[in-house]
Amino acid sequence: MGAKDIKPTRSELIELKKKIKLSQSGHKLLKMKRDGLILEFFDILSKAKDVRSELDKAYEVANKKIGIANAVDGIITVKSTAFALQDIPQIELESRNIMGVVVPKIESSSVRKSIEERGYGILGTSSYTDEAADAYEILVENIIVAAEIETTMKKLLDDIEKTKRRVNALEFKVIPEMQESMNFITLRLEEMERENTFRLKKIKG
Amino acid sequence: MRLLQRLKGGMGSQTQGHSNYAYTTARVRAMKGKLLSKETYPRLMNMQISEITRFIQEVEYKEDVDQLARSYEDVDLIEHALNRNLAVTFNKLLNISEGELNFLISEYLKKYDIWNIKTILRGKHCDASTDDILESIVAAGRLTYTFTSELAAKPTYEDVIAALSASECYSILKDYNGTNLSDIENRLDKNYYYDLFQAIGDPKTKDRKLFTKFIQTDIDLKNLVTLFRLKRYGITDPLMADLLIEGGLKLHFKEMERMLSLSFEDFLVQLENTPYWEEISDCCGPKMESLIHVETRLKKLRLKSAESFSHVYPLSIVPIMDYILSKENEVSNLRMIVRGKEVGLSDEEIRDQLVI
Repeated sequence: MGAKDIKPTRSELIELKKKIKLSQSGHKLLKMKRDGLILEFFDILSKAKDVRSELDKAYEVANKKIGIANAVDGIITVKSTAFALQDIPQIELESRNIMGVVVPKIESSSVRKSIEERGYGILGTSSYTDEAADAYEILVENIIVAAEIETTMKKLLDDIEKTKRRVNALEFKVIPEMQESMNFITLRLEEMERENTFRLKKIKG
Repeated sequence: MRLLQRLKGGMGSQTQGHSNYAYTTARVRAMKGKLLSKETYPRLMNMQISEITRFIQEVEYKEDVDQLARSYEDVDLIEHALNRNLAVTFNKLLNISEGELNFLISEYLKKYDIWNIKTILRGKHCDASTDDILESIVAAGRLTYTFTSELAAKPTYEDVIAALSASECYSILKDYNGTNLSDIENRLDKNYYYDLFQAIGDPKTKDRKLFTKFIQTDIDLKNLVTLFRLKRYGITDPLMADLLIEGGLKLHFKEMERMLSLSFEDFLVQLENTPYWEEISDCCGPKMESLIHVETRLKKLRLKSAESFSHVYPLSIVPIMDYILSKENEVSNLRMIVRGKEVGLSDEEIRDQLVI
């Protein structure tokens, strides 16, 4: 809003002062939110690093175990044991609020299974297949945790970016412009005051 | 001669006739001499997959690699060549043996028929392609490769079972409804041993006694692995005793049933009283994370006991069983090296899985 578009009236000045006050308190709140989100983000970042490294490790282990199981029991056996599973893990998606940012909360059930719940023939398979199944169950659990943490991190980052843009806009554009307009109106009103005084003196004289 | 014997066999007199032990065991000794030595495996581990293919092409697998090289490449070529060689080798054993010896070998090799039927059903269960199924087929039993291939090419499991309506395992297969594969697999595996004992009958001859002992040891080790697997997952349900096979040599069924209700720690304490403990004691503990070492040790024990038995009874079925186990082990080791290299396992990890 350019200062020249402003009507230099007292009511406009009062309105502008109100707006500046509101913007300043909004700016303060947004700054606090941004700092809070950044703190929260760093907290989650360290967790995400751990989860990611665990996920990589679990993936590596699972890959090796399935390789060994394929070699010992045969690819078809391993593939069919995977298809034998009847009870698919249930994923429940909830949400929680971190400073106004809605992030997912993922709960999973029955990922880990006992040998008799997996649905494959025990006599026709070996412990190589069991260990491959164990490794993949751990991997799925890690994926679920990583999905929750990494989505939270992504959402927090998006919101930090958005909040930072708002804070900067208020700090460097909106509030200075309003202050400039307020100064313009104040100056204009003072000028009008002086003109009035001068006019009155001239009439008296 | 073989044809005549098969025809006779078809008339239910497989067990009759003169067994040619001297000839068969001499041939088998020569065949065993051609198996890869234990010094070969470290060399193989330093080779690339193409070099391994080249290597096995220069030894006993030449014909198999030559035959299959047009259709397959890399790991698939080796896998098919190994399976083909296993089938050809075991068929050769059936061809050179006669009389009761032939009957006992063919009864033992029925495990490959069971394996192939299970593989085909598993393949149908997971919608695998015919080629994928054929990759795991080892036509070393009574079912020929052509018949097994036809089974693998059937569109549904119902067609597969219908085609097997004349087989001995049809009574079990007919209960398969598309969802109870694990139950059917377990029943087929148990039934294999039951049929084997039925075929042996009351072991009166020395050969049948030795063969029975061999099978009983096999059952013991299989039961031991099953118990370890169940205990590792904390299963104490007495109903799971259904997975144990009756007829073991040193582990009696009642004893195993009792072991099933124990905790893992108590189970290990009980195992200390068994003759198998000595072999596995150093890789067993209440906090053991993997059973792979136990399983590998038991396989080694199996090979060792078969070999020592074969020296004690050189003119019996034992040297032949020893050869069958050694050949299976060689193929399993080669497959382990190749598949291990394919998925990028380190040499140490591959070495851990080998039974040398």
